[in-house]
Amino acid sequence: MRLSIVRAIYRKEITETLRDWRTLLMMVGLPVILYPLLIIGASRIKEMQTEAMEAHGSVVSVWGDLPEALRKRLTKEGVLACEAWRGVPDELRRDLESGAQSVPWPEPEADKKKMDEATAGAKPAGPAAPPSAPAAEEPPPPPHPVLEAARMAISAREVDAIVAPLRTFKADMEEDRLGRLIIYYDSVRPESRQAADRAQDELLAYREDVRKERERAHGLAEGFTRGLDLASEDVAPPARVSGKLLGTSVAFLLIFMSLLGGLYPSVDLTAGEKERGTMETLLCAPLRSTEIIVGKFLTVWTLSMAAGAANLVSIAITLLRVLPGSALQALTPSPSAFLLIFLLYAPVSFITSACFLAVGVFAKDFKDGQNLITPVYMVFAMPASLVLLPGIELGPWTAFVPVLNISLLIKALLVGEARADFVFLTLLSSVAYGALAVLLAARLFEREQVLLGGRESLRATLGLERRRGALPSPVFSFVVGAVMLVVLFYGSLSLERFGVVAAILGTQYGLILLPTLVCVLGFGFPLRRTLSLRLPTARGLAAAVVLGLSAWAFAAGVLVRLVPPPESFTREMAKLFLDGDSLSLPTLWFVLALSPALCEEALFRGLVLSGLRSLGKWPALLLTAAFFGVFHASLYRLLPTAFLGVLLGYLVWRTGSLLCGIVAHALNNGLLATLSRAATLGGALGVSDGKPLPWHWTALGTAVMVGGLVLLRQVPEPVEERLGAGRET
Amino acid sequence: MELVVDGLVRRFGAVTAVDRVSFTVRPGEVVGLLGPNGAGKTTTLRMIAGILPPSEGVIRIGGLDIRERPLEVKARIGFLSGDTQLYRRLTPRELLFYFGRLYQMEEARLARRVEQLVRELEITPFASQQAGTLSAGQKQRTNIARAFLHEPDLLVLDEPTSALDVVSGRFIVEAIRREKAAGRGILFSTHIMGEAEYLCDRIVLMHQGRAVDAGTLPELLERSRCKNLTDAFLQHIGNPRPE
Repeated sequence: MRLSIVRAIYRKEITETLRDWRTLLMMVGLPVILYPLLIIGASRIKEMQTEAMEAHGSVVSVWGDLPEALRKRLTKEGVLACEAWRGVPDELRRDLESGAQSVPWPEPEADKKKMDEATAGAKPAGPAAPPSAPAAEEPPPPPHPVLEAARMAISAREVDAIVAPLRTFKADMEEDRLGRLIIYYDSVRPESRQAADRAQDELLAYREDVRKERERAHGLAEGFTRGLDLASEDVAPPARVSGKLLGTSVAFLLIFMSLLGGLYPSVDLTAGEKERGTMETLLCAPLRSTEIIVGKFLTVWTLSMAAGAANLVSIAITLLRVLPGSALQALTPSPSAFLLIFLLYAPVSFITSACFLAVGVFAKDFKDGQNLITPVYMVFAMPASLVLLPGIELGPWTAFVPVLNISLLIKALLVGEARADFVFLTLLSSVAYGALAVLLAARLFEREQVLLGGRESLRATLGLERRRGALPSPVFSFVVGAVMLVVLFYGSLSLERFGVVAAILGTQYGLILLPTLVCVLGFGFPLRRTLSLRLPTARGLAAAVVLGLSAWAFAAGVLVRLVPPPESFTREMAKLFLDGDSLSLPTLWFVLALSPALCEEALFRGLVLSGLRSLGKWPALLLTAAFFGVFHASLYRLLPTAFLGVLLGYLVWRTGSLLCGIVAHALNNGLLATLSRAATLGGALGVSDGKPLPWHWTALGTAVMVGGLVLLRQVPEPVEERLGAGRET
Repeated sequence: MELVVDGLVRRFGAVTAVDRVSFTVRPGEVVGLLGPNGAGKTTTLRMIAGILPPSEGVIRIGGLDIRERPLEVKARIGFLSGDTQLYRRLTPRELLFYFGRLYQMEEARLARRVEQLVRELEITPFASQQAGTLSAGQKQRTNIARAFLHEPDLLVLDEPTSALDVVSGRFIVEAIRREKAAGRGILFSTHIMGEAEYLCDRIVLMHQGRAVDAGTLPELLERSRCKNLTDAFLQHIGNPRPE
């Protein structure tokens, strides 16, 4: 071998590689940027969740008698509520009180952690690990009635944790004997773990006081007595524990590995086709760019799903081969759990396939494509790994984080902890991200510079150039709607700490009205035409008043019956309506009626609707209403708000005036706020305590609403809007 | 159907690649765009094929404007360039069926047309072989079949014989003659003067993005007072051949 030749080749390769800035970016830039971002992001999410968890008050039920001092310790305003005998079946309570049944004390050899082994005064370790399953050959012993009842009460969320003293506990403590009590909790439920931790802290502090008191009273040396024995027992059923195992490791593995299945095809179908010189044959065929991109997208998605199925089958077979006969047999997951994971992988692969394709379209050749798509893969795969971290659960802060939300949803569903609202938000945000990515890919595919391997500014590529005098395009409106959805969701969550009033006003003026005006003025859209700023006719205004006063009746009487909200939602709404706040009625109307009407109408019936107008009346109205509905970020508010969105959209479409939308919106909100505040009025209408409006009031309100619509139909449609002149293309 | 190109302009940033080019191609006529590399021939043909939008000017086929009715206009054009490639893992027959479906040809007609082209262009021996294994000439024959498949009114051929040997080039020349006889308009670009002299009814001479002259071969020679097309062309671009 001639070293001079090797050296010449080495020097040439290094020179060429170092001149490729994308390779350098991948090699150095990506690790430098990605890890700090990931760690900061993960810490921030965890911080937010911890704050939210700490704000959640724990309910601990005591199944037995406690000394008064201890009972007081277990009650802390807003943090820990102690309730006697909550969640216990009557018969079991009688048996426990009479001594016919006793609280089982864990055997020393059992795999349960005895907390009295912890150093006195030290922060105890977390809740114990789940009990291991019995061997396969032996039939499992029937569960102890107390354990079974505790499991039921915690699973049904009647209580977060249970403190069960042995029957003689109170007497033992009073007579300076060793008392024993046990905490039941569910390791899979974060609220239950937190409740157990909180109760445990108080019990250990109490034990310390008792120990010191006894040692002082009897003149004993420090550490001579223990005071009480404390144990804890995880009552999570094996299915939930196995769900947690699957939901974390299997979901992560699946996403991490399967995304690769979509990565290479997306490079091949875009950059590869450019490189091979076959793209030209497609471009000169009579095809729409969306047809080409959707065909390619479906291919990438199918391959990504196939890779997901292959990975999942392989994981399942491996688990089934390894687990039987082992101590983990009880954790063997069911086929339905795998099916569920596979189904939820669909939205993940939908988003990532669309993003890979959008980025792939940018690339000049295969190598360029790999350089561009690999960071995107990392951006998706790394957040998926956050599911492995303890304490990160599906909640308001994580429901809108793409890919991570689905990973957490898989875990939440498998352990039976998924709340309908978060499931809705997760699926909603995933669909929004996926649709945005497909739109982006289609948009890029239309750009000749991108297709022919050239480069142009990102703004020009995305079609976001300033076009003075033109109205926004449907794509612009869609992008604004989807981006605002995410910004508003996180923005309003961040503002919550300043109180409800500040959060509402900050969100409305700072996060809705201001960005809307910045968008309109910044992109050079005509303010008056984009926001329909013109005076309405008297008839149009009258229709707005009638609809504003009556629309709520249909929503509260019919739509609420279709999707009845849970009690927790009604409480949340009462909080939103500033129930119990000392605001005067005019201030209440300013905060809840006028401000949202002004700001939300400017965004939805102004900017968004003006962009969607070219799609035709009903597609534009329905899409705007859908945005308005999902913007309220609640499954239970979706239908009523989307319905209101259709009415308000139609009102602005017919009258050509945003003022009509503002008037109707303000009256609708103001009326609801007044009803929630005025108990007498609400009671008279039968809508107190979150009940739907009685049918007779519903019928009356609906009749008035129909009258308003008839009045509105008599208003002639403005000509300019129908034509949609001067639209940005 | 007649192709009308009027005042066609294409700019790439500050560079004007095609500058106010106008010409027509009538049915049954072969028109050649002749010019050196960088003259704007490929950009002109790409605009006509609907791959690039013009910056200014009009392209009409059978009265249809490409800006207003792009899909209908594209359906009437067959485009082939010298560097167009095939899908490596499809066989010629699969590829032809794929494009026939993209052009929304009725299945029975498509099957008949595929078999006809496979026979005429002597594709049969390799019709079931993946394109990645074909020679350059075999690939180009398959590409001719792809461009002619949907029986377009106008054939736009961008240096179709470049990188082909004499035998493979023969298929192109024969195909052009056959399509001309069938009444189709043919617009093709080349920088090979002999090819233009041999095939074209009319020639458009292009230089630096502009059409510097146009007409039949005798007309061009008469106007330039030259004996052959090469000399006429060099005179037009201000670079007469040294005596």
